[in-house]
Amino acid sequence: MPAMLWCSTSRGPIRSREATPAAQCGRLRNWAGVRCACKAFSGLEVAVAAAAAVAARDKGVGEKALAERLRLGSLLPDGLSYKECFIVRCYEVGINKTATVETIANLLQEVGGSHAQSVGFSTDGFATTPTMRKLGLIWVTSRMHIEIYKYPAWGEVIEIETWCQSDGRMGTRRDWILWDLATGEVIGRATSKWVMMNEKTRKLQRVSDEVREEVFVHCPRTPRLAFPEENNGSLKKIPKLDNPAQYSRLGLVPRRADLDMNQHVNNVTYIGWVLESIPQEIIDTHELQTITLDYRRECQHDDVVDSLTSPEVSENGNTNGVVSSSPFVHDQDLQQFLHFLRLSGSSLEINRGRTVWRKLAR
Amino acid sequence: MVASVASSAFFPASSSSSVVSAKASLPVGDGPQSMGVRGIVAKPTLSSGAMRVKAQAPAKASLKSEAHTVEEDSPSSARTFYNQLPDWSFLFAAITTIFLAAEKQFTLIDWKPRRPDMLADAFGLGKIMQDGLVFRQNFSIRSYEIGVDRTASIETLMNHLQETALNHVRRVGLMGDGYGCTPEMSKRNLIWVVAKMQILVEKYPSWEDVVEIDTWVAASGKNGMRRDWHVRDYRTGQTVMQATSVWVMMNKHTRRLSKIPEEVRAEIGSYFMDRDPILDEDSRKFPKLEANTADHVQRGLTPRWNDLDVNQHVNNVKYIGWILESAPITILESHELATMTLEYKRECGWGSVLQSLTAISDDDDNAGDSAKPGIECQHLLCLESGTEIMRGRTEWRPKRAQGLQPKS
Repeated sequence: MPAMLWCSTSRGPIRSREATPAAQCGRLRNWAGVRCACKAFSGLEVAVAAAAAVAARDKGVGEKALAERLRLGSLLPDGLSYKECFIVRCYEVGINKTATVETIANLLQEVGGSHAQSVGFSTDGFATTPTMRKLGLIWVTSRMHIEIYKYPAWGEVIEIETWCQSDGRMGTRRDWILWDLATGEVIGRATSKWVMMNEKTRKLQRVSDEVREEVFVHCPRTPRLAFPEENNGSLKKIPKLDNPAQYSRLGLVPRRADLDMNQHVNNVTYIGWVLESIPQEIIDTHELQTITLDYRRECQHDDVVDSLTSPEVSENGNTNGVVSSSPFVHDQDLQQFLHFLRLSGSSLEINRGRTVWRKLAR
Repeated sequence: MVASVASSAFFPASSSSSVVSAKASLPVGDGPQSMGVRGIVAKPTLSSGAMRVKAQAPAKASLKSEAHTVEEDSPSSARTFYNQLPDWSFLFAAITTIFLAAEKQFTLIDWKPRRPDMLADAFGLGKIMQDGLVFRQNFSIRSYEIGVDRTASIETLMNHLQETALNHVRRVGLMGDGYGCTPEMSKRNLIWVVAKMQILVEKYPSWEDVVEIDTWVAASGKNGMRRDWHVRDYRTGQTVMQATSVWVMMNKHTRRLSKIPEEVRAEIGSYFMDRDPILDEDSRKFPKLEANTADHVQRGLTPRWNDLDVNQHVNNVKYIGWILESAPITILESHELATMTLEYKRECGWGSVLQSLTAISDDDDNAGDSAKPGIECQHLLCLESGTEIMRGRTEWRPKRAQGLQPKS
């Protein structure tokens, strides 16, 4: 019966979720240690079953099972998406006392990597299939779009679900939904586009049917989008900044800590660089709601980068008349900017981006 | 949010005591953590009728109405009111515990895991040991914490130390306003500032390894505090890293050092352990280091927004990344950091421009000693104006096998 109590209280706050009841209770299992049967058993039976499950679990668990449990993430029962929980650590929190957008982006990357690993893709950071490795092909991010509606604070637990699916002939996409574990509310969504590239020649390649089969057996067959609404920001084209840009920060240098396992600047570092040229008055009074980045060129340790920013003028000419894709914010509280990252002193584009900021409720 | 946590930090202790009292009359083998489930099961005299009522009650019902419901639906068997009373009060206590536990589970602010060992630290929230003297927390190494050589960077490990320190303070109920300050300290605008840090790394973990960190505090002289950490591989118990740090008390406005006031000593004194430092003190003096005598200089280091903590100062751990920026790439490629001794002089914030100087020591003691192919470096991090931010000494050894598990 107590197990049933856990279940009934859990279904309350988690109304917004798409997960099946079985999956919800599976999630509970991780930290309540009680398998919720979700059926009308009598209290006695459920509790006895729970006690037996607990006893069995604690005895002789194999190495792999231990790693799975410690990892705290798992494939959903249908095997088509992956979920993991993360607690926000004190050093991941920024000047607003909430997790920074870089922290969120890092966690998205982490759960994507865990998903890839759990379905058997490579762990060298490229999430490649056997065929891809044979042909020397890797996945490269081409666009990243993150929307955060509520930033978590230190000690709060975020739950992230992720899945991937094909995206045209040339690429794949990975989507994420983020929840606050305690309240069950959606606190963010993200989507990213990936293309296949030859590791040596750096030329784009079409996704062959062979690779498609290897990858997409783990993905939903019918499209499932984190941003199902039409006209959502993740699809909007990003124009090039006007010259000269209104704000800039020149001479940004990658640190050793910015380099990933493959000696390229980590995707998340670009987010930090884009934010470097946002004016202080915005940083002090607003928080980042949306960031969209188009990745054009990679960066290495010796490169020097300029970060340029200008407010984006919307169709009616008013920089404040921004259409919000979040239902929570009134339009006049939003500020929108266009960004450009280039190799210092040249016109070679590294990234272009768009950010939308909402006023902080101080 | 952090401030509100302090008041409820003692809840886990009080709930377990009520659980324990309820436990006394039950033939339950397991520890109090699993009380919630088994408390109901093992009670043989409860009528199933009353339990069914319980199951249908809405989850958020107030405890008072639960008690009433329970009493109204008393079973029709011939039990006197007197005989029934102890049963119902026990049932009430058990139900209360379960509902409070469930509520706490879902608020999660100070969620305390109730299952023993492994899953007890499911989210890395950590647990108090030895009556609050030692705090233990697990960390799973995340992919973005891995450096170029596929092992957790020293910054990652130092970040974990910082997290356990703050969680220790919070969990023993000493978190006042702000991070790491007790209520009496906050009243007097006093803060702890790290003065010295020493670490020794045995083996660097890699992605998905899990480390277990123990931390505790001790007195350091009359007015300082020492915090030590012991980092182990969670699976094997092997030591990964040991660290010791010295903290001084400072007025956050005047920036002057302060004695520990009696009221603060009353708050924290009982947590000081009588334990030797986990590492022998490295009290060697730092030699003078200047740009023209240094082997390597890196200029133009600037903090990013992401480097700032809630006080808009650069996080201490970032300094380590900066001093390593000017370490020669040849050392970084063939060697790994074995020990580090740091002395913190001043803080810096947004807009500072720093330089990092490195000098490779002429290690006369080890000259010709092929058994110790180590390298020693001296470091200085300063503002362009010359103001010293940090001094450091690092010892490097040839790279060892990576990760804590024998991986293929």
